[in-house]
Amino acid sequence: MKQSPQLQQVQENMRPGVLTLHGFLGSDKRDLIEILEEDEAEVRRMGTSHRAIADKMAYLRDRGKDGLGEFIDVDPHFEVRVDSVRGGIPSPFGGPGLIPKTNTTVRNTALQREIVYTDINIHLIGEHGFYEGKGSLFRMEPHELVEILEVETEQQQTELPSNR
Amino acid sequence: MFSALMISVGAVTGISALLAVLMVIADATIGNYGEVKITINGDHEYEVKGGKPLLGTLMEQEIFIPSACGGRGSCGLCKVKVKEGAGQFLPTELPWLSDEEKENNIRLSCQLKVKNDMSIEIPEELFNVKEFQAKIAKVRDLTHDIKEVTMELADPPEINMVAGQFVQLRIPEYELTDEPVYRAYSVASNPSDTKHVELEIRLVPNGIATTYVHNYLKEGDDIIFNGPYGDFFLRDTEREIICIAGGSGMAPIKSILLNMAERGIDRRVRYFFGARSKKDLFLVDEMRRLEQELPNFKFIPALSNPEEEDEWEGETGLITDIVASHMETGDNTEAYLCGSPGMIDACVKVLSEKGVPDELIYYDKFG
Repeated sequence: MKQSPQLQQVQENMRPGVLTLHGFLGSDKRDLIEILEEDEAEVRRMGTSHRAIADKMAYLRDRGKDGLGEFIDVDPHFEVRVDSVRGGIPSPFGGPGLIPKTNTTVRNTALQREIVYTDINIHLIGEHGFYEGKGSLFRMEPHELVEILEVETEQQQTELPSNR
Repeated sequence: MFSALMISVGAVTGISALLAVLMVIADATIGNYGEVKITINGDHEYEVKGGKPLLGTLMEQEIFIPSACGGRGSCGLCKVKVKEGAGQFLPTELPWLSDEEKENNIRLSCQLKVKNDMSIEIPEELFNVKEFQAKIAKVRDLTHDIKEVTMELADPPEINMVAGQFVQLRIPEYELTDEPVYRAYSVASNPSDTKHVELEIRLVPNGIATTYVHNYLKEGDDIIFNGPYGDFFLRDTEREIICIAGGSGMAPIKSILLNMAERGIDRRVRYFFGARSKKDLFLVDEMRRLEQELPNFKFIPALSNPEEEDEWEGETGLITDIVASHMETGDNTEAYLCGSPGMIDACVKVLSEKGVPDELIYYDKFG
């Protein structure tokens, strides 16, 4: 698919030094549309959605806030810590104002794996299906998010007992 | 056919070269704003060369506006009031400014270029801010993710500051950044030691500055910082004091307590420090020593999730619950808080419920 002028402008916003020091694309030379399409395909293959992934990220972030800056246990076997640094970052897609510089660290103690993401990752994934370019400091691999955060696939969701 | 193609390529190349030359000439002439005057707070005047961003222009005059991103427009901290000579708001400023700030002519100094005479307002205390060259005298682990860094000043050789203030550390180019960045850290040492500045820095995952400090910085290295900044300091009253901190939020509180001990300020102080388990707790011995020097000081560490091997017999629970259980009333009390925004917000709520007036709750939010 050819990249639209609007998406081209977003890609310009993602370059180093425009909105953030390092930008959002890392060493990725692909057009933004290709990055989006490839990650979209991977998320579909796993049978889930950007929204489901972002919702789980936000849920764990919100639970982690109760730790007041320290790790806190979150069921069934997560340890979560939420840190903040000064300032905020605007979205390269425009709106919704400044997003706080908040880091969420999630340890999956059952898998012995850890992942760190920011509030802008949650926004970019949930609203735009963007996981950042390859080589970006804050690139999120969709399969890692799904595995470590234990994001339910659509199949798993339909297998849940319906007692509502 | 071939010659026509070569002529076309030659023509395009020629036009491109001509345009490049024109751009260089335009940059040197149209973009040459010559000498301009910046008036600060109505009575300080500086003749400067126009054309550069206000933040950098002021830095060349040794006036340092707080900025956590080194002028890249990604922290929104370097705001100044520009009374005259600013021109229209730039698209890169707008995300950082509220409607009220725009009405009050607040501008982002790293984005705004100095093109003509300007009149600006900055807090008077920023005239005391200087850039310091220092050497790393000591680096030691306080916990598995917090390091204490002691800097010995070289030029200027001394710093005058108030306990509780912060400085901005300049992180040089290294693997994670191809240009210097600045990050703010509270000072942990007693300001009476004017030749040294001590910081406590917690590793932030993927953080450019904290990764540098934890993985690259070593004793003997040269370092640059500027400061002091901030209005988080002990107020001169007779009220009881509640201090609450977590993690590297220990730093400014420790500075304040050391300074109190030295000056013989023996007000009642209760210091609540939150950590998850014993491995996140640090400087306990130093706090116990301060309890000996300050008879009315009590250090109350609390672990939210102690490990079995910790054999912890102290307070257990979230720091907010521990504060609530120890405080009967907030009468005649003022509070000093340092930590994550979430911790600060939760503690402010508890203190307010106990009756501590909002205007007597002072805090230094990391966020």
